[in-house]
Amino acid sequence: MSTKTCPNCGNHCPENDRFCGQCGTRMDAVPVSPAGGVGKTMFFSGVQPAGLAKLVLVKADTGDGLAYQLSGTEHVVGRTEGAILFPDDPLLSPRHANFFYRDSKLFVGDEGSTNGVFIRIHNPARLESGAAFLVGEQLLQIEALAPDFGPQPDAEGTYFYASPKRASKMRLIQRLRGGDIGLIVRARGDSITLGREGNDVNFPDDPFISGRHAELSIGQDGAFTIVDQGSKNGTFIRIVGETQLAHGDYVFVGQQLFRVEIT
Amino acid sequence: MITCSRCGKENQDLYKFCLGCGAKLQPAAAPAPKPAAMSDAYPPTPPPELLGARKPVVSPSPEAFAAAPQAVVPAALVPDFVPSVAATPLPSSAAPMPAAAHFAPPTSTPGSVPSVQIGIGSVPMQVPTRPNAANSPVAGIRAVTAVPPTATPMSSAAAAHSPFSAPAADTVNCPNCGKQVASAFAFCGGCGHRMKAAPGAVGEAALQRVEAVAPTPARMGPRGHLTLIRPDGTEGGVFPLQEGPSVVGRGKGVLFDSDPYLSPEHTEFLLTENGLEVRDRRSLNGVFVRITDEEPLASGDSFRIGQELLRFDAINPITPLDDGTEIIGTPNPGYWGRLSVVVGRDLDGPAFPLFEEKARLGRERGDILFPEDGYVSGAHCELAIRDGRVYIKDLGSSNGTFLRVRESRNVPSGSLMLMGQQLFRVAYK
Repeated sequence: MSTKTCPNCGNHCPENDRFCGQCGTRMDAVPVSPAGGVGKTMFFSGVQPAGLAKLVLVKADTGDGLAYQLSGTEHVVGRTEGAILFPDDPLLSPRHANFFYRDSKLFVGDEGSTNGVFIRIHNPARLESGAAFLVGEQLLQIEALAPDFGPQPDAEGTYFYASPKRASKMRLIQRLRGGDIGLIVRARGDSITLGREGNDVNFPDDPFISGRHAELSIGQDGAFTIVDQGSKNGTFIRIVGETQLAHGDYVFVGQQLFRVEIT
Repeated sequence: MITCSRCGKENQDLYKFCLGCGAKLQPAAAPAPKPAAMSDAYPPTPPPELLGARKPVVSPSPEAFAAAPQAVVPAALVPDFVPSVAATPLPSSAAPMPAAAHFAPPTSTPGSVPSVQIGIGSVPMQVPTRPNAANSPVAGIRAVTAVPPTATPMSSAAAAHSPFSAPAADTVNCPNCGKQVASAFAFCGGCGHRMKAAPGAVGEAALQRVEAVAPTPARMGPRGHLTLIRPDGTEGGVFPLQEGPSVVGRGKGVLFDSDPYLSPEHTEFLLTENGLEVRDRRSLNGVFVRITDEEPLASGDSFRIGQELLRFDAINPITPLDDGTEIIGTPNPGYWGRLSVVVGRDLDGPAFPLFEEKARLGRERGDILFPEDGYVSGAHCELAIRDGRVYIKDLGSSNGTFLRVRESRNVPSGSLMLMGQQLFRVAYK
């Protein structure tokens, strides 16, 4: 790529940039740039070839942080391995996720990480039994319960003594950091609503959960549909394998939340 | 379900009074005051093979057949059983006793004349049982429920020698232990002492065979007893505990044979000069002792309140994996433990996190509620954490809190324990 030098600060800028990426000095009087950009948005991070993506790190309190240009073909995120490293994030596996292009489309793949890759849903999404998802700070798992065929004896012909069962098709499990189970709720009906208050299951102390956050319902085949109820922070489901990303998607990897921007 | 006509609350079919307002309930369909009918309303339904076993398929002799129905009476927890009915003379029914009979001194309780053990011991699974009463786990809980105040551990020493609650027409006192014994009985129900000389040669032969099999002499009185407590609180039969080890389980005696929730080798009782040690023989369902004081609770311990089987687990500290990764999850908001309702083998129902210093369990008041379990008291028991240790105590509940014996423990005379679905009291000298 050919470059030119900023007359103000000496920075090397792409040939067709109208402003210096470092100091913002207008470098030519003839607007040749695409996209009709206005000066104030054209900072360094805006320098990207058309069709390529960047990941913007979203910080909870300070707004957006670093941006990572995805200018190669593969971009591995990890704690110790890859191009995008977060050595201080204990929730990241050494090699965790891969953002890559295929047929000019951006995908994210789980590199066999311990904790997985979570993506914010826009539409009702399907969850298999046992799948994990995030609402607010809560990592939850939904499981379909097998129909009860009544008590079965063990090899010695002894029956297991258990508490009386109340019929239920599914249960919701709260997973604590470290892997332990926090609470388990069994649903009586075919759906569970989640949120901070007024739902089937409430997390009143979670500052990141919305009043009405998400709803889960079980289908005929034992799989679930999860719907975000217009929550502020969204509902994230764990991806299986790889999934295509679109502009505006949010991806959780370890403790890092990325916003995907594709021009 | 019975819907209360006064307050509209739905109650389980076996309840006599509304859980919501206490009003007397009208039975849902057939009148259900009797345990057998009550348990009909309950899952689990009896397993098919046991249903089939109700038919007396094998009856070696008319005597044995006649004895069999009596055999199940004490174990089947029928409250209106009258002892005198079962007072079959020993000799006639002792004839078919197999050499493998495992009782040395035949214990004679209201229902369990020696002939009874013969019937059970010879064809265990073909003896008629009352599956709805005996096979439902509820039956044992009913036993818990119905324990009258006299059956508390404090008064048990006296209760162990008390006469039958159902009046026997004609009794004599056992010269060995003083227990009142129906005059028709050949042996004392309390200690196994022979009350009268065996009247016939057949009986003699049977007894000699018994003595040949049994290592201990039949005339030696047992030091301890395991007494079945029926749902109505009366005593339902006695298993003698000799000096040394005794193993009980399904197939080890009339009190245990009709309980499919007992493992074949369920509990070992070791009676020594140091007291009575109760050891779980790695049974499926364990043995539970009613707690009288505050007890320490370890991670993985189970206990029973009402119909509920609960398990306590501590929350493990976060430890990174080998590659340094920590497992993702909800930040722990201060949970120190979790209480899970066990609803099946390797299957937990609801689980409640524990985070306050104390967590109260009950039907109506407290932090963790079981509003549908009528055998749980309003405020039943309490879990507490102090200095990093967890404790459990009963809050004066009607039916008690029963802690599963981890491996073994010593129990004082008078302790109440749950094995399978039945309630027992131990007493020893």
